[in-house]
Amino acid sequence: MSAAKLRLRHVGKRFGADAAKQTVAVDDFTLDVAPGEFLVIVGPSGCGKTTILNVLAGLEPPTAGEAFIDQRPISGPGPERGVMFQDYALFPWQTVSGNVEFGLRHGPAGDGLDTSARNARVRATIDLVGLQGSEHKYPHQLSGGMRQRVALARLIANEPQVLLMDEPLAALDAQTRLILQDELLRIWGQDRSAAQRRTVVFITHAIDEAVFLADRVAVMTAHPGRLKALIDVALPRPRNDATRADPQFQALCQHIWSLIRDEAYRATVA
Amino acid sequence: MNALPARTMRGLVLPLALLVAWQVWGMATTNPRTPTPTRIVRAAVELVESGDLPLSIATSLGRVFAGFAAAALIAIPLGLAMGASRPVERNVDPVIESFRPIAAIAILPLAILWLGTGTPAAVLIVAYAAFFPIVINAIAGAKRINPTLLRAAATMGLSRFAIMRTVVVPSALPAIGVGLRIGMGVAWTAIVAAELAVGAKAGGGGTGGIGSMMFIFYAYSIELNRIVVCMIAVGLVALVLDRALRAAMRWLMPWSAS
Repeated sequence: MSAAKLRLRHVGKRFGADAAKQTVAVDDFTLDVAPGEFLVIVGPSGCGKTTILNVLAGLEPPTAGEAFIDQRPISGPGPERGVMFQDYALFPWQTVSGNVEFGLRHGPAGDGLDTSARNARVRATIDLVGLQGSEHKYPHQLSGGMRQRVALARLIANEPQVLLMDEPLAALDAQTRLILQDELLRIWGQDRSAAQRRTVVFITHAIDEAVFLADRVAVMTAHPGRLKALIDVALPRPRNDATRADPQFQALCQHIWSLIRDEAYRATVA
Repeated sequence: MNALPARTMRGLVLPLALLVAWQVWGMATTNPRTPTPTRIVRAAVELVESGDLPLSIATSLGRVFAGFAAAALIAIPLGLAMGASRPVERNVDPVIESFRPIAAIAILPLAILWLGTGTPAAVLIVAYAAFFPIVINAIAGAKRINPTLLRAAATMGLSRFAIMRTVVVPSALPAIGVGLRIGMGVAWTAIVAAELAVGAKAGGGGTGGIGSMMFIFYAYSIELNRIVVCMIAVGLVALVLDRALRAAMRWLMPWSAS
């Protein structure tokens, strides 16, 4: 196996200056993500999933341990790591095209692209996520599912090597969610060979979503946030509706649920 | 076709009744100076035809635009910097807040002594008056930014300056627009007050402007109808300025549906 694309070594994150009153969000988290791997982190709310993602994105430094990309320490955000935020984070003053074009136009992702190459990339990305005809609409004119497509298009237009996705489908209704799970795998390139795929770290609290998407599922528990188990999902790709009916799919969901069930029950009582 | 005009007509009943009552009262009194609607219309026609009123308004507007532009050029970047940076705000805010309670008209004595009774003093007053609402709204605008948008831009590798230009400024634009509208309102109020006061100092000399024209009608020729014409003109110009700024904001911000 080739060297890890992303590497987390004993990463910890504490909040609060006063040692006695500190909250431990994440404790001793160690994990390698292989190039082209689709890794999903699943766990109850408050388990520090988002903190892990922010450490990888370079948005929050860890208070212990270290994070690496391609063996280099992560010290801040970088265009090779694209982030998709839970609340879409679309620029309300930009149209669909303007949002998709944003990183290419104002950031280093567009270096070396002339206007026509940039427009071609924007056009192709909008087609890829199925937003043809909405190019000139503003985010407030779009449904939740369409906004999420715009956020996805903005992310992949920059062609980052790593996609970091923080519960991107959490705010959507159940049907839209299933559709976008399929779309996401198509856009990620599940029909292509593993070498041509991008590395993905995807966060969710939905176990079925985790199993459907992932090569591996990292199960976390809360208080403090720790890695409880790493589970290989050997379901064949391309995955589709038949995957969801597969007994192995059901068994994996059951298994992961059994790992976090006690804690989830406790959280609802507390 | 029917519903709206009928409602509009009903809405006009009280204003028309008041105008008629005013006219009747004015004709009943024997004083020929008493303003009445018909005398005011006649005075308005005279002032427009002679070119005095348009010229005065143009003079005042020129001063307002100059002072307003100067205020906006300083207040918008300063406000954005204050809203985006804690150290800048902590240093500048006490200075601004200690000047803010001093009304624009209260700096007039210094303005006249330093700059005389002409246009420069008037422009300074206008700029001073317009500065505060613009800067305060720009600060609020820069502070109200959704922090996730800043993070999104940072993860796309944008420099600090690029983030300022592409995220902070457009995020703050609606608040800046509110500040500009309020600033324009107080600028226009301030120019009339400043010209009235400068008119007193200059003894009715030719500093021009609508306020100075009002001072002449008040202190020298004593023409009440013409004063009322000036008051109405001041109100109408303010309305047109605000509507024009609103239209400009809608054009600048096509994404805000409101």
